[in-house]
Amino acid sequence: MLKRKMLRDIKKNISQFIAIFFMVMIGIMVYTGIEAYMTGMEKSADRFYEETNLFDLELYGNDFSKKDIEKLKDIKHVKDAERKLSIKAESGKEKTLLVNFIESNNICKLHVIEGEKFDVDKKGVYLDERYAKENNIKVGDYININYDSMKLSEKVLATINVADHLYDVKDDTEIFSSRKDLGFAYLSVNEIPEAFIKEKIMKKMNIPNENMFNAVVKDFDYKEYIPFNNIMIDVDSSENINYVKEESVSKLSNALVATKREENRSYSTYQGEINEGRAYVGIFSGLFLFIALLSVVTTMTRIIKKQRVQIGTLKAIGFKNSVIMKHYVGYAFWISLVAAIFGLLIGYYAIGGMFMHMQMSFFELPDASAIMHSSSYVVAVGVVIVTSAIAMFTGRSILMEKPAETLKVGILTSKKTNKNFTKGGIFKKMSFSTIWNIRDIFRNKIRVSMGVVGLMACSILIICAMGMANTMDHFIKVQFEDICNFEYKTTLKKDITKEELKSLENKYGDSSSQTLLIEIKYKDGEKSSNNAFVSNTGDMLRPINNDYKPIKFDDDSGVYMTYKLAANKGYKLGDEVEWRIYGSDKYYKSKIVGFNKDPQNQNISMTKTHLEAFHDIEYKADSLYSIKKVDRNLPGVELVQSRNKLKDSMNHMVSVMRSMIYVIIIVAIMLGLVIIYSIGVLSYTEKQYQFATLKVLGFPDKKIKRIFIKQNNWIAIISIILGLPLGYQLTNYLFENAIEETYDFSAYIEPMTYIVAGVGSFLVTLIVSQFLARKIRKIDMVSSLKASD
Amino acid sequence: MGENSFIRLKNVSRSYIIGNKTFKAIDDISVDIDKGEFVVVLGPSGAGKSTLLNLLGAMDSATSGEIIIDGEDIVKYSDSKLTEFRANNVGFIFQFYNILPTLTVFENVEIIKDITKTDKKAEEVLASVGLHEHKDKFPNELSGGEQQRVSIARAVMKNPSLLLCDEPTGALDSNTGVEVLKLLKKQADEGTTVIIVTHNSLIAEMADKLIHLKNGKIDNVYVNPNPKKIEEVVW
Repeated sequence: MLKRKMLRDIKKNISQFIAIFFMVMIGIMVYTGIEAYMTGMEKSADRFYEETNLFDLELYGNDFSKKDIEKLKDIKHVKDAERKLSIKAESGKEKTLLVNFIESNNICKLHVIEGEKFDVDKKGVYLDERYAKENNIKVGDYININYDSMKLSEKVLATINVADHLYDVKDDTEIFSSRKDLGFAYLSVNEIPEAFIKEKIMKKMNIPNENMFNAVVKDFDYKEYIPFNNIMIDVDSSENINYVKEESVSKLSNALVATKREENRSYSTYQGEINEGRAYVGIFSGLFLFIALLSVVTTMTRIIKKQRVQIGTLKAIGFKNSVIMKHYVGYAFWISLVAAIFGLLIGYYAIGGMFMHMQMSFFELPDASAIMHSSSYVVAVGVVIVTSAIAMFTGRSILMEKPAETLKVGILTSKKTNKNFTKGGIFKKMSFSTIWNIRDIFRNKIRVSMGVVGLMACSILIICAMGMANTMDHFIKVQFEDICNFEYKTTLKKDITKEELKSLENKYGDSSSQTLLIEIKYKDGEKSSNNAFVSNTGDMLRPINNDYKPIKFDDDSGVYMTYKLAANKGYKLGDEVEWRIYGSDKYYKSKIVGFNKDPQNQNISMTKTHLEAFHDIEYKADSLYSIKKVDRNLPGVELVQSRNKLKDSMNHMVSVMRSMIYVIIIVAIMLGLVIIYSIGVLSYTEKQYQFATLKVLGFPDKKIKRIFIKQNNWIAIISIILGLPLGYQLTNYLFENAIEETYDFSAYIEPMTYIVAGVGSFLVTLIVSQFLARKIRKIDMVSSLKASD
Repeated sequence: MGENSFIRLKNVSRSYIIGNKTFKAIDDISVDIDKGEFVVVLGPSGAGKSTLLNLLGAMDSATSGEIIIDGEDIVKYSDSKLTEFRANNVGFIFQFYNILPTLTVFENVEIIKDITKTDKKAEEVLASVGLHEHKDKFPNELSGGEQQRVSIARAVMKNPSLLLCDEPTGALDSNTGVEVLKLLKKQADEGTTVIIVTHNSLIAEMADKLIHLKNGKIDNVYVNPNPKKIEEVVW
């Protein structure tokens, strides 16, 4: 019988139970979705790295020989080592292919999507699956691969994914490359033409013709001369990686630098996305859960308290406390259980799946999917337990009373005189509706506080989400409109001759730069990889200070350090910084002559004159900046990118984040709506008796509506006033602390965002209040006054 | 009497549909009440006493018939006109007082000025019901009798032509109940029509008119030629 009562009670209070249902569901849905997405990102990649045996270390250098491989394999803890020749080739107009020629494939194994497995004796190319798809290339088709004088036409043997190519860009300046224009390919070393190697060697040895070459190089086996520039190393255990790293560099004189997998661009970018996600998305999911739980607890408490007379009646007619308790815990348990199940399912499939889908437009990872994190089950069970416990404690406090006491509802029981500050002073001059609402707020502090906290948290979420989008837009503006003053950036070939550079400078201007891969030895003795930007850019690049105002790199007596790097490492103006170029053991000391803000890189910069003052380092431009578009076919030109295209690339990358932000905003608004509705229903239900009295006294409905809406408006205004600055603080915290160390930008929130969020939140509150206020017209005075509980 | 009565109920019915059945709470009632009369409505539970009171107070609408108060048929009134009628003409007193817990005693009475014009002063009205000293207290600081007196003061503040009381002494002890009845009788003496719905037949001895209801119909209307003074009633 009590089950029937429960179902009917739920039906009678359907709006409040629906509110509880949605709050529990949204809280768990967001938490589960975000966790499933983050876990999916992590585990999908880990599984792929494991399956394909991603390298532990990479060695970059020149002309790695078989002997080098043997030397490496002799190092303790090295399980395996494989060399490869990696080049950046072209395949048709404006299409770049990162081509790797390999001898074997036990490390970083090719994951075949369609086609055949790698075989060193097979002729053909194993092609990037996404590139193939974007360009409508099928297995069996032929593609061209051009690199200098090497012109290959290769049959596509398979489409593949590879663990160190989850993310690729054409060069360091790019953030996102369209996979239609950039792909990767693997070929057997046997596909390298002998003539190409011979030509390279002749050029290197300065041999003018083939006859002379044949006379100088006896029994030429071109495979012995392939200029392998990369070695992948598999180490037996992670704790030995540092040891192997040091040993390999010391044993191989032609190794320029050894990097761990964590430093690999694909790995670090992917991992960076996970780390950033963990930081900011974690805060979102926590906030959602907190708001939802807070609102549920308050609503549940109120619902049970409303059942006071019925609890007293059940007790009076002889029901055992335990039976009554079980009955009321059942309210909370079943509703939150069903909502939790829905939250888990929708969160996992909809939110998790959608976020994964968005991320995978950016990363190339096979079989990536959202994965349910065990904590989601714990949270779901926790929410059900907390909700049920609240029902239990509330019910118990009523059950502790004597039935006669419990049944005495509707009559205001006599209490001792209490001081109330709203009786005098300014309060005396206030209108009835104002003073009535003020006192109602003080009488219902928990409900009102829940409303303020809930709505405030929703405002914070909305401001934070919109603020993140604003900040990213601002970052793009600073980077590509304030700092970049060029129209085209030309990446120069490594082997560009002085004559070729001179010719380009004559035609397009001499604004150039060089980026040196360096190691900085910090004050505390710590060393880390970084880069030094050597500027000869004139006005084509405009560095900025912390206030986003332009400055100039014009002091030739030292280096400029980015603010964030200086702050992190404790450097002041005038301090000396020690650095060395990779490939050389010699350290240079430079005085810090200024600071600059760089949103994207934390490094040091210097003028060409400062670099050349060291005498033993030659400035060799690797990039040229111009207003006119450089002809890509000119000698020495590797890549030409327009500023707009760079900006578009960045916008594309941000678009993934933006889509996630939209989802967060929509869910925040939904949750806000449910909370406002829930508070509104609670507030209305608790005041219904008083509203009925006012109606009997002759108050017109409009006047009663105004009283009701007034309080909700106050709650909304207070929440918005608190929420807006806190939203800014949270956004700033995320950008200053949660993003990767290489980035430096603080929150930038457009005034319009505050207006939209503030006015929007208020209007939503007003609409919900108006919607609920419609009930006032329908108050049945007779039954409302009878049902005084 | 008759056409000139302050209140005329002509063939008034109020029915409710419960499930498939129609239940008549008030069934074809006709009665006249004069201005300043002290009327007591008696009857067993379910007789239709409260329904009658609600109809007179414009809190509920008749299904058929005419309710003419001061020459106007309120059955024909729109919702807003009914609200206006309640605001200007009717004072209510309930068994459980129905005073607003978030307002002080004074404010609970003064609130009437928000809905109707009255030349009465809240402090004077409170003094007349003996609550002047408690005017700054909140309702939960008062006893039941005091709370009912606030309710009376609020009703009186309107200077209503009609005072409707639903079991006004039902939740009070006999001494306090007597005090409350004295106040109500005083209102009638001053020209307000007072209608009391009660189970307490002793109150009937002080009534000018006694209406007995049974199963939604008038069982009997008794005009008391010698209503007793409250002091004469043995409680």
